[in-house]
Amino acid sequence: MHGTASSAPKIEIRGVAKQYHSARTVQALSKVDLTIADGEFVCLLGPSGCGKSTILRMLARLHKPSDGEIIINTAGGRVTPTAMVFQDYAVFPWKTIEQNVRFGLEMAGVPMPEANERTHRWLKKMGLSDFAKNYPPTLSGGMQQRVSIARALATEPEILLMDEPFAALDAQHRRIMQEELLQLWQEDRRTVVFVTHSIEEAILLGDRIVVMSARPGRIMAEFNVPFARPRSPEIRTDPHFAQLEQEIWNMLRDEVERAYGEGGHK
Amino acid sequence: MTSQTETSPTALRIEPGMAERDPSTFLRRRGRVEFALSLATPIIFVLAWEFASRMGWMDKRFFPAPTNIFDSAVNMYQTGLLEKDLIASTLRILAGFALGVVSGLIAALALGLSRKTRAALEPFLSALYTVPKLALLPLLLLIFGLGEFPKVLLVAMTVFFQVWISCMEAILTIPETYKEAARSFGAKGWSMFRHVTWPALLPQLFINMRISIGIAVLVIVGVEFVQASEGIGYRIWHSWSLFQANRMYVGICVVAIMGYVFGYAVRWVGIWALPWTRARTKV
Repeated sequence: MHGTASSAPKIEIRGVAKQYHSARTVQALSKVDLTIADGEFVCLLGPSGCGKSTILRMLARLHKPSDGEIIINTAGGRVTPTAMVFQDYAVFPWKTIEQNVRFGLEMAGVPMPEANERTHRWLKKMGLSDFAKNYPPTLSGGMQQRVSIARALATEPEILLMDEPFAALDAQHRRIMQEELLQLWQEDRRTVVFVTHSIEEAILLGDRIVVMSARPGRIMAEFNVPFARPRSPEIRTDPHFAQLEQEIWNMLRDEVERAYGEGGHK
Repeated sequence: MTSQTETSPTALRIEPGMAERDPSTFLRRRGRVEFALSLATPIIFVLAWEFASRMGWMDKRFFPAPTNIFDSAVNMYQTGLLEKDLIASTLRILAGFALGVVSGLIAALALGLSRKTRAALEPFLSALYTVPKLALLPLLLLIFGLGEFPKVLLVAMTVFFQVWISCMEAILTIPETYKEAARSFGAKGWSMFRHVTWPALLPQLFINMRISIGIAVLVIVGVEFVQASEGIGYRIWHSWSLFQANRMYVGICVVAIMGYVFGYAVRWVGIWALPWTRARTKV
């Protein structure tokens, strides 16, 4: 188990800012400071274009900050300590489900027999065994996102990064996937940074919710989610759930309107 | 776990790089480097050739120095020879290209929009596609005589197949959602074509026109080798048979530049005509 607190935080984001330079300079993120503990499930919540995904991409080392620095305390000894699940799945259409799930393991240099064993374990866990030889376009969106999650978790990352993973799914699938993720995470509590638009999703899944402002994004508030672990989806009916949801929405509402007013698209 | 103070020894530090610390300098420098590289390759090539030729490492009869070739070009320009050849070839290329694109598009629409036409004509046209077009030149010369028309026709035939195949594929792979969206608002026939089919196939059309115009240059040079009394291809072949290596190289360089200019012209028209694809061309 990872969960038991060690002295140093897993992730330290110190004064990180990000500008994008194209036709004009866009300040995506103003100074952000955030510390994430080992084994913590943190949800980043905010209006479109507030830089939530930018933070995630910097943690995955896909982007570099314009200012400040990020420290990730790793156990060492692997290619990359993070694994990412993307909103539009980003599973490779030219690889079978099995090959997709094995991809991360191959990149990490896991020997073939072990990679196959882990691939099949995760296919089974995610209910994908029957589709191992299928190609992704033959599967529904929910199934494709399962593949993407399996691909990430099969590498047993120290940090799991999820960029609005359920946003493209229909409401019922989304609910099922949220519940599955809750279950999976409670089994082995690794550090998760989860970007979402949904307040409900953030409360259901997160230990802590970080609310961000409209662009240029900064942290407006943090909420500790009071529900104990292991959590069940039934907490949705708890009056405290609705209360917290309302409280966060009151804070976000103005920011969302501000983002739309500026034509705040991605 | 190891003992930790601030960070563990295996900590990963993610910091701004050069591109983030000073983005404007970075972009300017990158632009300058790319521009310099694009010029450096041909310049180094020409300088190396000049040097090798002057040092006598290469037989000057076959590989004259670039400066000599340039002198020939100036001379050919002054006598009006170059202009005459250039105009003759360009007209043939443009006429054949236009004919090929228009007929290719018509075929693409006819076959792409009707299953029956496709069933009737696709295997037949596909078989014709594999016939090397240059092999048909003697036949065309027999039928149409020695004038301009068979030359133009040969270019057109080459371009036709390129445009037909790619545009037909583009029509067949238009995402169903666009067609459904249009149909749900009552679009059909001409309005479907104008609002969905035509814009959807344009990107493929421009990609293929860019390839085709290059092929048109190749074909016309080949044709002019065999049967012409003016044109760049004729000039290359004729100079070779008269052992005028300088002029032959002038012809070769002109062909290369023609291909480059035509290709770029098509590309820029494409960028101008397809504003919705611009966002995708990332820096």
